[in-house]
Amino acid sequence: MLQQTTLHVNGEDRVVTIAPDTPLLYVLRDTLGLRGPKFGCGLGECGACTVIMNGAAIRSCVTPAAATKGAKIVTLEGLGTSAKPHPVQKAFIAEQAAQCGYCINGMIMTAAAFLEREPHPSRAAIIAALNANLCRCGTHMRIVRAVERAARERA
Amino acid sequence: MSMHQSATTKSGGPRFSRRGFLGASGGLVIAFALFGPEAATAAAPGAPAGAADGAITPPPAGKLYAWLAVNPDNTATLFTGKVETGTGVGTALAQIAAEELDFPLDRLDVVMGTTSETVDQGPSYGSRTIRYAGPQIRQAAAAGRLVLLRLAAAHFNAPVDRLVARNGTISPTGAPDKRITYGALVAGKRLDYEIGASGTQFGMRVAPDVRPKDPARYTIVGRPVPRKDIPGKMTGAFTYIQDVRVPGTLHGRVVRPYGVGARLISVDESGLKDIPGFVRLVRRENFLGVVAETEWGAIQAAAKLGSILNPSGPDKGQAKWSAWNDLPAMDRIWETVRHAPGADTTKVSRGAVDAALAGAARKITATYRTPFQMHGSIGPSCAIADVRGDRAIFWSATQMPHEARQVMAQLLGIPAERIELRWFEGAGGYGRNGFDHVNADAALMSQAVGRPVRVQWMRWDEHGWEPKGPAIVQDLEGALGANGQVTAWRHHMWVPTTSDKQLIAAALIGEPEIGGKTGRGRAAVTYAYTFPNADVACHGEGRVGLLTAWLRSPAQFETTFAMESFIDELAAAAGQDPLAFRLAHLADPRATGVLRAAAEAYGWQSRPAGAARTTGGGPAKGRGVAWVNRDDVRVATILDLTVDRESGAIKVGRVVVAHDCGLVINPDGLKNQVEGNVIQSLSRTLHEEVAFDSAHVTSRDWVGYPILRFAEIPDNIEVVLVNNSPQYPAYGAGEPATCPTAAAVGNAVFDATGSRLRQTPFRPDRVKAAFS
Repeated sequence: MLQQTTLHVNGEDRVVTIAPDTPLLYVLRDTLGLRGPKFGCGLGECGACTVIMNGAAIRSCVTPAAATKGAKIVTLEGLGTSAKPHPVQKAFIAEQAAQCGYCINGMIMTAAAFLEREPHPSRAAIIAALNANLCRCGTHMRIVRAVERAARERA
Repeated sequence: MSMHQSATTKSGGPRFSRRGFLGASGGLVIAFALFGPEAATAAAPGAPAGAADGAITPPPAGKLYAWLAVNPDNTATLFTGKVETGTGVGTALAQIAAEELDFPLDRLDVVMGTTSETVDQGPSYGSRTIRYAGPQIRQAAAAGRLVLLRLAAAHFNAPVDRLVARNGTISPTGAPDKRITYGALVAGKRLDYEIGASGTQFGMRVAPDVRPKDPARYTIVGRPVPRKDIPGKMTGAFTYIQDVRVPGTLHGRVVRPYGVGARLISVDESGLKDIPGFVRLVRRENFLGVVAETEWGAIQAAAKLGSILNPSGPDKGQAKWSAWNDLPAMDRIWETVRHAPGADTTKVSRGAVDAALAGAARKITATYRTPFQMHGSIGPSCAIADVRGDRAIFWSATQMPHEARQVMAQLLGIPAERIELRWFEGAGGYGRNGFDHVNADAALMSQAVGRPVRVQWMRWDEHGWEPKGPAIVQDLEGALGANGQVTAWRHHMWVPTTSDKQLIAAALIGEPEIGGKTGRGRAAVTYAYTFPNADVACHGEGRVGLLTAWLRSPAQFETTFAMESFIDELAAAAGQDPLAFRLAHLADPRATGVLRAAAEAYGWQSRPAGAARTTGGGPAKGRGVAWVNRDDVRVATILDLTVDRESGAIKVGRVVVAHDCGLVINPDGLKNQVEGNVIQSLSRTLHEEVAFDSAHVTSRDWVGYPILRFAEIPDNIEVVLVNNSPQYPAYGAGEPATCPTAAAVGNAVFDATGSRLRQTPFRPDRVKAAFS
């Protein structure tokens, strides 16, 4: 049974027709054509699908789209662009903090939400904030440095 | 894209290269010319698309246009059959080409892997891209520069040796204002110049008569440049294979057997039609897939049939499988490996080991065990196939696009000339993960439904079915003379295959020979010690238990663990400093070079292992060293760590890696790789072990197969580059720094606690058990 739902994504209202139990990730990727949020596990374990909902980093792969009605959703694309990157994106580029980069959406979205909450974090706090996100290439050292740089440069 | 359009691509004009097109459209939709309107108008009605004979083949390696295109806006494109796997080779290869061309790096685009647009330079594995494809691209670009100089000679009516090429322009010597751009010289034409090529893949020689630039004049190679792919990856602008969308595509999911070798008995289809978007089942022998209009529909249908995280039995889903329980017991896998059929090969046979052991003042023996491990890509394997009659297009992230095209030809019974594979980057693969297998899944589903089908594995498909690195067991024996010198060394290893090319889908449809052979494990070790009596041998086997294939530094991660731990055991038995002990038994100057460089950077103080050991409770601190020669790259790793005596948890502090891969193309890219190798191998050392029962792999998600998290990363990783100079070739660096980690950690644990760890992963319970 398909239903019409309005989602608020990257500053726009988007009317979508979906099966109501569809996880937000598939709506963002397949219906709205976004590619920042990634399918990694579909189980909320790795963080590749992370988006920011009402200021909090959430796992879009286990969040039903219908449950986000009325919420403000921001994806990697809504954060910034190559021409005008968000400070966190800028810091990740400056630190060359990616190898394959598939997990990086989750790292950036998690870090962006975290720095809004905690603008002057310690290294230990950054590590704790990222600890539920998995990276397989082993880019961790650079990711931590990038978040430290973003905190510095936002200040 | 048809051959005709490929030619257009390389002739320049508007930038029709695939990435250029994507950039221009800003969309996800890929042009679909092989079956699309462009092809239809180009060919006579009913005739196959593509060239006149319907062939869609790689460009000829001996033509300059196979490697380079120069566009009127003075941008250029490098075409390479190599692919990016997250290691930064796309940028490094562009640096090599830009250097030879005297062309600005930021105006040089790179097209990788697509079979109709690139030359087959061999698969992108085994740290072989810079080493083998680098010189091919260097020569092609040098030939390109010569062609441009000749065009400029005609333009300026001046001899070539009176011209200066610089930054994408050419001017007469002494008249820099009279310059013309490469783009203007080429004027939108295809670079249809014969440059010569012989041989194939890794052994191919390109433009052999052209002399490349004197490395003393390098300005781009050797500089730490930002990677070209990174900004797009940070903003969502980058197109991964998972992001490719083809009009009219259906979504497919696989439903794998409950037991690895189970037969499909029946499928209860009830309820499937109620799932929004469900299209149909695809069933061929034991291959089962579902196809739907939406991704969520396909996932739900597959779940009904039994594709869920924790299936509870072969007949619990709507797909009913035979009971199959033939996997060997996990806790005795090393005995199974030890007794598996195979063939013995001798790697080193020097002196008289038995006699030396018999007469030794001191003799020690040890057995090292390492488990099945997985690639564990963060993004599950994904591919799109569009199979229509005798033609097919694949969108794939395989590490071997040209070979994959041939394999898909076998699977589909279509000539390879009618198949195009369009390559897009996937999540890091680290060897042969599921990317080649998912091509086959998509091919079978598309062939059945007659429409393009995008298949993405679920997490449990990836964890459960990707080919693993094999479990290995190794016996070592060593003898010490009265003076503490090693007098005998024996290292025997039992190694299942790491080169299995069997395709899962092909086996499921009853044609396991499609795709390639199973292969046999090899003595993945580079022995370099100068012991007077040495016996290094391998019992190489086929598949033992689970499907395996190459995983970063295949088997050499494991053999280095054993070799470099055991030399440490001998050093400790001799009461000597482990670094000095190694140096005393090595003649290879590049080996001693990295060991000394690491020691100097670390500030290594000479003492035997354990000499700084503290007793009692609380944290124990230790340091460890190990090194490797993998594929001519020398790497020495020194690290220190703390062991929590209460919990058995290991926390690594400082890591110093001295790395000699010869000339480094992009030092920052290399450091990124080395850091990645250290952390990934630390994860493999501390955490990773594939679990399985008698039916299937039970490590089906990140809970069942934990990997290293941020809380466990080292305090820092320092990389020292050794012999980074144009007088040395550029060897590949994708893997070698993985190898020493497990031994360095184990040696440091011994230094800290006196307990020797001989089995990975070093989980806290195992570390604690070793204390007693």
